[in-house]
Amino acid sequence: MASLGGSSSSSTEYIVRVPKNTSKKYSIMAFNSGDKVNCSSWTQARMERDMSNRRMYGVEETEEGAAGSEFGKKQREEARRKKFGIVTREFKVEDQPWILKVNGKAGKRFKGTKKGGVTENASYYIFTQCPDGAFEAFPVNGWYNFVPQAKHRTLTAEEAEEEWGRRNKVVNHFSIMLQRRLREQERGPDDDDEEGEKGGKKKKKKGGRGGDLRIHDLEDDLELSSDESDSSGGEDGDSKPKKKGGDVKGKGKKKKKKRGSDSEANEDSDDGDFEGLEVDYMSDESSSEEEAGEEKAKSNKEAVPKGIDEASESEEESEEEKQNEEEGKEEEEEEEGKKTPVQTKKKRDSSGESDTSEDSDIDGEAASALFMKRTPPKRGGGRGSGGSSRTGSRPGTPSIDSASTSNTLRAAASKLEQGKRHVVGGSSESPAAKRLKMESSSMAVTTQSPAPSGKSTPQPPSGKSTPSSSDVQLTEEAVRRYLIRKPMTTKDLLKKFQTKRTGLSSEQTVNVLAQILKRLNPERKNVNDKMHFYLTE
Amino acid sequence: MSEKTEVDLTGAKQNTGVWLVKVPKYLAQQWAKASGKGEIGKLKIVKKQGKADVSFTLNEDLTSLSALGEKAASVRAPRDHPFTMHSVGGQTLAVFTETSADKISLEGMVVQRAECRPAVNENYMKLKKLQIEVSTKPQRLTEQMDRAVTNNFKPVANHVANVEYEKKKKAEGRMVRADRQQVMDMLFSAFEKHQYYNIKDLVEVTKQPVTYLKEILREIGVYNAKGTHKSTWELKPEYRHYQGGEEEIKSD
Repeated sequence: MASLGGSSSSSTEYIVRVPKNTSKKYSIMAFNSGDKVNCSSWTQARMERDMSNRRMYGVEETEEGAAGSEFGKKQREEARRKKFGIVTREFKVEDQPWILKVNGKAGKRFKGTKKGGVTENASYYIFTQCPDGAFEAFPVNGWYNFVPQAKHRTLTAEEAEEEWGRRNKVVNHFSIMLQRRLREQERGPDDDDEEGEKGGKKKKKKGGRGGDLRIHDLEDDLELSSDESDSSGGEDGDSKPKKKGGDVKGKGKKKKKKRGSDSEANEDSDDGDFEGLEVDYMSDESSSEEEAGEEKAKSNKEAVPKGIDEASESEEESEEEKQNEEEGKEEEEEEEGKKTPVQTKKKRDSSGESDTSEDSDIDGEAASALFMKRTPPKRGGGRGSGGSSRTGSRPGTPSIDSASTSNTLRAAASKLEQGKRHVVGGSSESPAAKRLKMESSSMAVTTQSPAPSGKSTPQPPSGKSTPSSSDVQLTEEAVRRYLIRKPMTTKDLLKKFQTKRTGLSSEQTVNVLAQILKRLNPERKNVNDKMHFYLTE
Repeated sequence: MSEKTEVDLTGAKQNTGVWLVKVPKYLAQQWAKASGKGEIGKLKIVKKQGKADVSFTLNEDLTSLSALGEKAASVRAPRDHPFTMHSVGGQTLAVFTETSADKISLEGMVVQRAECRPAVNENYMKLKKLQIEVSTKPQRLTEQMDRAVTNNFKPVANHVANVEYEKKKKAEGRMVRADRQQVMDMLFSAFEKHQYYNIKDLVEVTKQPVTYLKEILREIGVYNAKGTHKSTWELKPEYRHYQGGEEEIKSD
């Protein structure tokens, strides 16, 4: 090492060596500047490869050779893969990420992912100064970017989407995670003991908020429920302002029934406001619906009557539901895949229930109300015992669901039968009503049962009902208009002819609509597994 | 399998500072050719009123390029390389090493980043020209073939391969029935290795005619028509002794 002195500069020369025999492989561990990592403050660290991607080897075959036949299960599998052109990337251990744990279990965790392309066009060398003053250069084998791993619990993608939809309404963000914990707790008490404890801790902090979604009008109820919440899963929105609480609960309740509905726009959202007022009206119908029967279901217009039936059923059920409600996130997920009829019902129900302006779209939150009716006792029991009813009712629900749908099917079928009978007789209310409406003149009122006709006759001249201005009469013209414009399902059509606006009962609407559709005989096509009608003229 | 390797933190504790230097490919290649102690050149640091100029001079003997083929002789690798120094910024860069024995140790922290640049001169330009020529060569070539590819084949009474196969089969002859006990022993040892066997595989293993083999199998084994192991034979439960690795004499 030669040092040359200069007046204002000093230069030194060092020998650079590249050691040959290194068994050590050098790599770079890069941290984000924002993480403020200080390696010298680490007391202890452990690092290992993250082997979670090792899925190539599939089912490990036991040593006793239980699985494979002699002539190479492996060879055959390989041959198959080659035949189908499946190319599986090799699992290279050196390319796997690192997991770094600093300061033991309570310390930080980092995940280091290999950065690609580092050694392609240029090489990195590490220059270290040796005690003898010379530099030693080691080539860098790999570059790993280490990011800290979150220890706190996070939402899954689905839950995150839901919360995104509610972002404008939710004020208390703490309760989001709390509710999730509670849900999980109820879902699997054995698994989630930890979360339960954590939830408990949080609950104490906030006085037992979060949890079930109930609609309470009284503040007293809220306070009461907060006491009970420890046992039954708590109250959502305790901390929220009361009006917001109402909103959120309503929303939450809807959420329970139809997940993801918030994200879908519903053209008839305005109508939803009036649905709730029909409660009394609907409850009258429930008894008559039971007789309706399967024939309705079999007819091509089954969705129409069924929807109303179910809606009315659910309206009354949902009242009970209001009292017995539990959080329904899992149920929503469950109910996702239920059949359309039940979905129709759901839709009507939820649009009826929501006092808020949130859109009520049909999402397959199939009849939580449906089996609400069947399982209030179960639910009630569950509440007391701390929400285990959820798990209890869960297995029960599929069977119950089928039972209830068959009921409504029967109800629907019998209804259709009635309708048919009327049609055949030529003295049905519906065609008569239709004719009346269409021509809007005093037609020869054929022999009709006074009660239904009474309902329908005064309609056209007086144009009664409709607090709202638009007059949507259930006429063939109207239906034709709609169907020409765009294909619609029976549900959609029903929505168009709100009972409030047409002044007909739901049953009548159903009947009349069925008649009209029979007359029009629209073309059908299946969109998204739903039967749509349309006309082309 | 998931043994967490304890990381040796001596480097971090001592706050050993290292430099991270980005080096051009050709230079790295030359360095790899270093002999003896591994000396590759000299690093000269000139400190001028606070600023430091660092430059690296490659050893004479390492300037001969061989990487680029015939033309290499005329061109030599440049010798002077000034270093451009950068600061690390906020980013924390640590250096860790892994030995072949899976020992991980933290060597130190990066305190300076540098880029090794060749001094721009005639020599370097020639080198670059050579590199460009190599890289611009297309990877795919068009060649002329001697005979055209065709899928039309003339009909043949018997294909060559077939004829040979038949001859081979004839030479082997038919399989002879061995002693019953012997065959059973063979089967038992085979089933010790794997649980499920195809009948064809067993035929190949035991070299016995199929009917005879099936007879014996029916006696000691059972046939799986359904389930995961499609149409395979396995030993009867009373004959099986499958435990983790330990093979026992099966009851007969």
